[in-house]
Amino acid sequence: MARNFVDPNAVRFTVRDKIFVDAQLYTGETFKSLEPQRLFPISGLMKYISLLDEEGNEVMIIRDIEQLMPDAKEAILSCLNERYMIPKITKLIKRTEKFKIWMWTVDTDKGIYTFEIINSYQSIKILYDGRILIKDGNDNLYEIPDLYALDKRSIKLILPDV
Amino acid sequence: MAVVSDLNLISKYGNSVILICADRLIAVDKYLPDGGTMLLFEDIAEAKVKRLYGNAVFKAEMKDGKTLDLLRFTYSTTDLCDAVAHFINKVNEGMEIEEQIEIVRNTYKNLRSFCPKCGRKLASPDAPCMNCKGKGKMFEVLFGYIKPYIKPLIVSIILSVITTVMALVPPYITKMMVDDIIPSKNEKYLIITIAALLGVYFVQYGFGALRAYLLRITGDRIIVDLKKDIYAKAQYLPMKFYDKTSTGSIINRINSDTTQLQNFMLRITQEAVVQFFLMIGIIIIMLAMDWRLALFSLVPVPVVALLSRYFGRKLSPMYRRLWRRSSSISTILADTIPSIRVIKSFTGEERAIEKFDRYMNDWMREDKHAAKTASMFPNAITFFVTCGSLIIWFVGGRYVIDGTTDLTLGVLVSFISYASMFYNPVNFFASLNDSYQNALASTEKILDIINAEPEHNFGKGIAPKFIEGKVEFRNVNFSFDRSKKILNDINFVIQPGETVGIVGTTGSGKSTIINLLMRFYDDYEGDIFIDDVNIKDIDMEFFRSRIGYVQQEPLMFRDTIFNNISYSLPGAHVDQVLNAADVANAHSFITRLPNAYDTTLGERGVGLSGGEKQRLSIARAVLKNPNLMIFDEATSAVDSETEKLIQDAIDQVIRGRTTFMIAHRLSTLRKANRILVVDKGRIIENGSHDELMALKGKYYKLIQIQSMSEKVAADKAAENFE
Repeated sequence: MARNFVDPNAVRFTVRDKIFVDAQLYTGETFKSLEPQRLFPISGLMKYISLLDEEGNEVMIIRDIEQLMPDAKEAILSCLNERYMIPKITKLIKRTEKFKIWMWTVDTDKGIYTFEIINSYQSIKILYDGRILIKDGNDNLYEIPDLYALDKRSIKLILPDV
Repeated sequence: MAVVSDLNLISKYGNSVILICADRLIAVDKYLPDGGTMLLFEDIAEAKVKRLYGNAVFKAEMKDGKTLDLLRFTYSTTDLCDAVAHFINKVNEGMEIEEQIEIVRNTYKNLRSFCPKCGRKLASPDAPCMNCKGKGKMFEVLFGYIKPYIKPLIVSIILSVITTVMALVPPYITKMMVDDIIPSKNEKYLIITIAALLGVYFVQYGFGALRAYLLRITGDRIIVDLKKDIYAKAQYLPMKFYDKTSTGSIINRINSDTTQLQNFMLRITQEAVVQFFLMIGIIIIMLAMDWRLALFSLVPVPVVALLSRYFGRKLSPMYRRLWRRSSSISTILADTIPSIRVIKSFTGEERAIEKFDRYMNDWMREDKHAAKTASMFPNAITFFVTCGSLIIWFVGGRYVIDGTTDLTLGVLVSFISYASMFYNPVNFFASLNDSYQNALASTEKILDIINAEPEHNFGKGIAPKFIEGKVEFRNVNFSFDRSKKILNDINFVIQPGETVGIVGTTGSGKSTIINLLMRFYDDYEGDIFIDDVNIKDIDMEFFRSRIGYVQQEPLMFRDTIFNNISYSLPGAHVDQVLNAADVANAHSFITRLPNAYDTTLGERGVGLSGGEKQRLSIARAVLKNPNLMIFDEATSAVDSETEKLIQDAIDQVIRGRTTFMIAHRLSTLRKANRILVVDKGRIIENGSHDELMALKGKYYKLIQIQSMSEKVAADKAAENFE
């Protein structure tokens, strides 16, 4: 099946209910309540955004958000920000271990939070671009964009696990 | 009841609350208009949890068409919010409140299962606490493996002490020779002393050889026990463990980590004891010979201790990182070597080599880093130790030259020998930290397996005399992880002997229903019953022995056809195996093979076609005469002719047995008494083929689509034929 790639100059998006957008093409065709989802939520935050209808069927794909017109870009980004939550860790405040379960208290761009890591070998991954992805015991994800941009103490605490 | 979330509505960490009463809910969040809202259940059309990415939202669809976001939370609270949404919807449907509260309570209980003794989180509410069971502590675990071999180890220690004492004798004899025997030119004493030395050397090296043999044998036994235990434990670990742990990493643990640990255990039980006694013995001798020089020789000890501590702290994280790298290499190997056909067919050899090179280089870089510290460490220690002997030469030499003390040249030479012997144990204990850190990294990985929660009720629980085959799913919900719900409120009852088809698109949850029935995953919400007995109360070994399971991709062992079939019933009589093969339509093709039932299959059944392997797999399932049969897309990967052979086999096998059939080709399900249509984790249709066709719903559509594609295929075939 051929993919329907959006012409970035021929579409207008408006937000409907936080995580949904309505799309209006310059041909006059409209689509209501489309749900933008990243096809590469880890590796490509701004590229290849799939827009799904209520049944979960793909209606169109945005190749690159940056190519959209400012209003459309803002609408899509607003939906994606509402949907995706991978807090970025800015500091490791405390790291304790009991019975091989690690407890991390971290400062993130979403605030301070404490979570458990059941198995540090499986739950902490270094990505191809050097980012570190952490999955806690409840399957929540956290990201360290650049380990070496953290404070020295945080680096020292995290380094053995990566 | 109340649910406290860990996010506020604008996705920042914070607490918001939803309070649930019998007929209304109150949501409190500072980002709600007026900081909160109260809704009556009767105004709510549907309460639901919308899973986003890394968070979820509790939504209420109101009867007036509006949708309200009431609570936002991370996946930590998702299960509980799911249960609350379910509660509201069921209460609105007029269900009993107490019954629904019990479901929410059970969900909460599942989430909050802690050991009452130590507070550790448990894998499931009834799971034993591994910490309180006494496992989990490194030394306790290790001692458990050493204990059975304590006798040979004690003998070995005694031998070590004897060889150590013998090692202490030669320097003293040197002193006697230098100070007394040679200056007095007493040849008779010289010969006696040399003979005594010969005896000492004989005992030292003879007993040393005996000790080495004992140590090797004992070490081998310990490692064999350890490997056997890890392998055995790995067999009983739940599927969830294998979903998250790579095969390579498990192989790495069984092979190299156990060897690492064995070396460390022997160092601790043998070398450490010997070196300790050696150190004490030498200190006593040195103090007896000259207490001042003895004190001087102790000068480097605090430096060595401090250095050891410093390097230990540096090495520990390095070894952990190194372990990660070597585990990644094992994972790559376990992944690519069995997939060599795929690699070759896509000419991916170079990519595979490149990837492996990259991982090896990564390991090399980390090892280089660790090697710098690890190599610097013993040499730094040796340097300080050597400085110690220089102090003795300097101080002792001056005493001998001045003649102000009674220190003779023989005593000094002998003292220097003892001093260099003394620094060996010091060196040993200093470097013990290195192997301790290395072993610690390996132990952690081994304990991951040894301490992992095994499948429940294996060898426990009830074993009914007879299973009729009534199957019931009641309010079953399941997710592999909290990010996506795979099964949603599954309810159905199957009567004994019924043949049930499960259909649905790929990823709809068909196989997951079977996975839960097989108890591959036990952490679902709701209940599954066989003959009105909860399957969690039945002994898992017995339970699985009553199910015949035929998978889409039949897996064969590298063994003979006979052994592959009889795998399901060890010790089966030849007649039974032949009958099973006959029922499965496999006997005729087996007899045509030159080695017939003695044909050894290659890895994963190489040498047979897909259809032949599938028929062996059916024969294997039939042999144990199960009460329940499960066919998971058993005919999806074979041609029409083979499909017919397999279908004939299936028809014979399912007679009188409750049967679940997941089928890709819907035509194979026409004989099913009942068909369950699964879509997005829910059962959306349930009835006979005729009933569902009359319903003109999803099943009808699937049949239409498949008929059309079959017609197109038939037309194309006809065109080619013409």
